[in-house]
Amino acid sequence: MNCQNIREKFTGYLTGEISKKEKERIQTHVRQCKDCREELESLTEIWTKLGVLKEKQPSPQLRTRFYSMLEDYKQSETKKAKKEKIHLLSWLKNLWPRRPAFQFALSLGILVLGLVIGNLWTVIPRQNAITTALVDEVRGMRQALAVSLIDQESASERLQGINMSYSMADPDEELLDKLLSTLKSDPSVSVRLAAVDALYLFHNHPKVKQGLIDSLSQQSSPMIQAALIDLMVSIRERRAVDALKSLLDSEDVNPEIKDRAEQGIQRLSF
Amino acid sequence: MESLSDSDIMEKVRDGQVEKLAILFERHHVKVFNFFLRLTGSHSLSEDLVQNVFIRILKYRSTYQARGKFVVWMFRIARNVHVDHIRKNNEAFHLDDQYEEPESGEESPVQALEQKQDITLLQKALSQLPLKKREALILSRFQDMKYREIAELLGCKEGTIKANIHRAVKQLGEIYFELQGGVSS
Repeated sequence: MNCQNIREKFTGYLTGEISKKEKERIQTHVRQCKDCREELESLTEIWTKLGVLKEKQPSPQLRTRFYSMLEDYKQSETKKAKKEKIHLLSWLKNLWPRRPAFQFALSLGILVLGLVIGNLWTVIPRQNAITTALVDEVRGMRQALAVSLIDQESASERLQGINMSYSMADPDEELLDKLLSTLKSDPSVSVRLAAVDALYLFHNHPKVKQGLIDSLSQQSSPMIQAALIDLMVSIRERRAVDALKSLLDSEDVNPEIKDRAEQGIQRLSF
Repeated sequence: MESLSDSDIMEKVRDGQVEKLAILFERHHVKVFNFFLRLTGSHSLSEDLVQNVFIRILKYRSTYQARGKFVVWMFRIARNVHVDHIRKNNEAFHLDDQYEEPESGEESPVQALEQKQDITLLQKALSQLPLKKREALILSRFQDMKYREIAELLGCKEGTIKANIHRAVKQLGEIYFELQGGVSS
C-alpha cells in the first residue's frame, strides 16, 4: 500500500473511526516508512495537545439568563394567544352597527329569522302527522275496494278482492265479515278456496276462528272440506275436534275426507 | 422524563410546550458553550452565543423535523450564530478577550505556567485556522461527532470532512510551532 493511501486514513486513526485491521496496517507501514511515521507523530502530538483545552463550565449567569429568556418567551406567547381572542371579540363587536336605526333593523332581522326557524321546526312534526293520516286513508280505501270487489258478480273480480286482502296487515271487521260470508256462500269453489287461504292469515282474530270451525260442517265441497281440515290441524285448533267428528258421522261426506278428518282428529288429540 | 430522547423533547417544544426547552438546555448548554469557547477563545462571547443559540431554537422551533439527530440540528444553529456574529463584527477572530486558564489544583507552579502557555498558544493557533477547518476539527476532537454527522452539519461530503480534519491538524501543528518561535519540541 502506498503512502498516499495510508495518509488518507490518518484522520480515522486519530478519531478512532477506523477498523482494527486498518489500524494494524498503518502501524506496519509507519514502522518501515520514515516520512509517514513523522507525519503521523506530529499529527498525534497536536491532536493530543488539544486535550489541554479542557471542557470548562460557563458562569452561573448563563443559566439565569436562559431561564429569564424562556419565561419572557412564554409570556409573550400567552399574550399573543390572548390578543387573538380579543381580536375575535372585537371582530364580533364590529359587526354591531353604530346607528340606532340599523341596530333596530338588525334586531328585527334576527327576530324574523328566529320566527322562520321556529316555524320550520314545528312544520316537521305536523308533516309527520299528515303522512300517518294519509297512510290510514289509503289503507281504508284499499279495504273498501277489496270489499266492493268481493261483492262483484264476476268470479275473477271477487278473487282479485280476496287477493288484495292477503297483503293487509290489519283488516277491518267489514272485510273479515265479507270473507267469512264468501266462504259460507260463494257459488264458486275457487273463490271459497281463496277465502280459506285469506282467512288462514287472520286466524288469530277470534271471530275468524269461530267462523272457520262453524263452516266445517256447512261446506259440501270435498276440496274446501280438505282445505279446512288441513287449516285446523296446522293452527292446532282443538275446538275443531267436535266439528271433525260430526263430519265422520255424516253420511254424504266423501270417504277420503272422512279419512283425512280422522287423521286430523288424531293429530289434534296429542 | 429523563428517558425521553432529545428529539422527542424538541418535538414537544415545537408543538407548544416551550418550557420543555429547559431540559435540552440542561443537557447541552455546556457542550455548546465549549464549542464556542474553543472556536473563539472568549468566555463571555461564548456565553452570549449560547444564549443566542437557545433564542434561535425557540424562534425556529416550528421548523424542527425529527428526521435527523437533534444535536446535529442544534450545532448547525450554533454554527450559524457564530458566523452571523463574525459578519456583524467584521472580524475573523478575537484576541482581545483571551482564553482563561483552568484553575490548576495540584500541579507545581512551573507545570501550571507551562500549561497556561500551552493553552494560550493553542487557542491562538486555533483562531488562525480557517473557519471551516476549525469547525470540523473542534466538532470531531471535542464534540464526539462522527464524520457522517459533521458532514451533515456542515453540508459537505464525508470524504471532504476527513481530508479537512487531516489538513486542519497538520496546519494547526505548523502554526503552533511557528508561534512557539519555530522551535520544534
